[in-house]
Amino acid sequence: MELKPVNELSYNEAISQLGQIINAMQAENCDIDKLAAYTRRATELITECRRRLTATDEELAQILKTLDRTGA
Amino acid sequence: MHESISLFELNSRIARLITGDTGTQNVWVTAELSDVAVRRGHCYMELLQKDGNGTQVAKARGVIWGNNYDRLSREFMIATGQPFATGIKLMVKASATMHPVFGLSLVITDLDPNYTMGDLLRRRREIIDRLTKEGVIDMNRELPWPAIPQRVAVISAPGAAGYGDFINQLLHNPSRLKFEPRLFPAVMQGDKAAASIVEALNEINAQGGWDCVVIIRGGGATSDLQCFEDYNLALNIAQFDIPVIIGIGHERDITLLDYVANMRVKTPTAAAEWLIGLGEKALGDLDAKAQLIFTTVSDIIAGCKEQLSYYAGLLPVVPFDATRRAELRLNRAGVLLSGVSANKLSPARARLDVMAANVAAASSQAVARSRDRLAAAEQLLAALSPQAVLNRGYSITRVNGKVVTSSSQLTKGDHIETTFASGTIQSEVK
Repeated sequence: MELKPVNELSYNEAISQLGQIINAMQAENCDIDKLAAYTRRATELITECRRRLTATDEELAQILKTLDRTGA
Repeated sequence: MHESISLFELNSRIARLITGDTGTQNVWVTAELSDVAVRRGHCYMELLQKDGNGTQVAKARGVIWGNNYDRLSREFMIATGQPFATGIKLMVKASATMHPVFGLSLVITDLDPNYTMGDLLRRRREIIDRLTKEGVIDMNRELPWPAIPQRVAVISAPGAAGYGDFINQLLHNPSRLKFEPRLFPAVMQGDKAAASIVEALNEINAQGGWDCVVIIRGGGATSDLQCFEDYNLALNIAQFDIPVIIGIGHERDITLLDYVANMRVKTPTAAAEWLIGLGEKALGDLDAKAQLIFTTVSDIIAGCKEQLSYYAGLLPVVPFDATRRAELRLNRAGVLLSGVSANKLSPARARLDVMAANVAAASSQAVARSRDRLAAAEQLLAALSPQAVLNRGYSITRVNGKVVTSSSQLTKGDHIETTFASGTIQSEVK
């Protein structure tokens, strides 16, 4: 299966892919050869999702600057 | 020249007429409020009556003196959630007074907020019914929320405390959730509020890409909510295609918009907290998934290790087991084989034995039979031999060595030889 880079996925796509991987891993006939690939992909997805949810200090500062400009 | 009186005198007469008539004093009157103005603590207004078409059919000046106004306006605000303002329906306790200089006016000494409330609720109910009939009332309320509404379009008055509270709360969340709020400025009170908010909604819609709309009030002391009781504004919010959060009231205030918006919160801060809550739930789900993956992988690997060590433990034993089993099989096969051969051979051997016996018996029988026959033949032979006949008294006559069986064979003078069982004699035929 050709996998899109995680940063090209929408959040929902990423989450649903994550769910599929977990299902595959929990299945009775989980392919052990794929375990490492599964784990790597799942970790990438989680990291990407978390990155999108949370802001860096830099981003925060940037957004707060716009607040100052609107004069609140 | 007519006899005349001064204007002051006329006004005084009118004043006396009015105040003497109890039908004009301390009566409860319903009217619509217009042109409210507070000067030097006193509240001046126009009271209107309109017919069904909105045409004025009656009008009077009204005043609430400063000593009453503070209390009445405060009580009115608490009861109805809105200030004294143009457009609301009032029930007032009024007394007609005629001031020589200022003319006729109604001095208002009491208000019945229940009437105003009833009127507001009735009007709100009418709008809700209309939106329900038009099938739009639940449209925004039924919209699903994106997993995390990060792009937040905010409609508020710029520079208002409520907006600042919202932004600060939103951006300083402990989980460092990322939000991208943007202000779409609008007038948040007074007659222009509804149209201004609709305009902001249109701009958000035109721009696109927003996850949700948050409509919050700038804050401030007064809570003039009447401006939100607007059909067109409610219709726009109901039909807006991303979820709308309303945070314009205070604790117990409910406006028409609360019936059409997807989400109602009490304060701008609460709106921010609600969005943060969604984001934190999404983060929590991610953490749970990460944990699940960790435990799943650990379980699988542990399972594999266990299986491996099980096999490893078998390794020293398995070959011996296998050879032992092979040996066992071999033995069993041998036993089986001998069994098989015994089973197969013994009948054959038995048959052979029987056959041998048969052959022996048959041959001895045959010999016996031959012997018997021989004996019989011997007896017959013995019985048939000439000696036996001679023994019974017969004799043999021969002439010239030939056996004579008829007297015709003989002629006189022949010498015959007679053989007896024992002995021979010579005779001459006579």
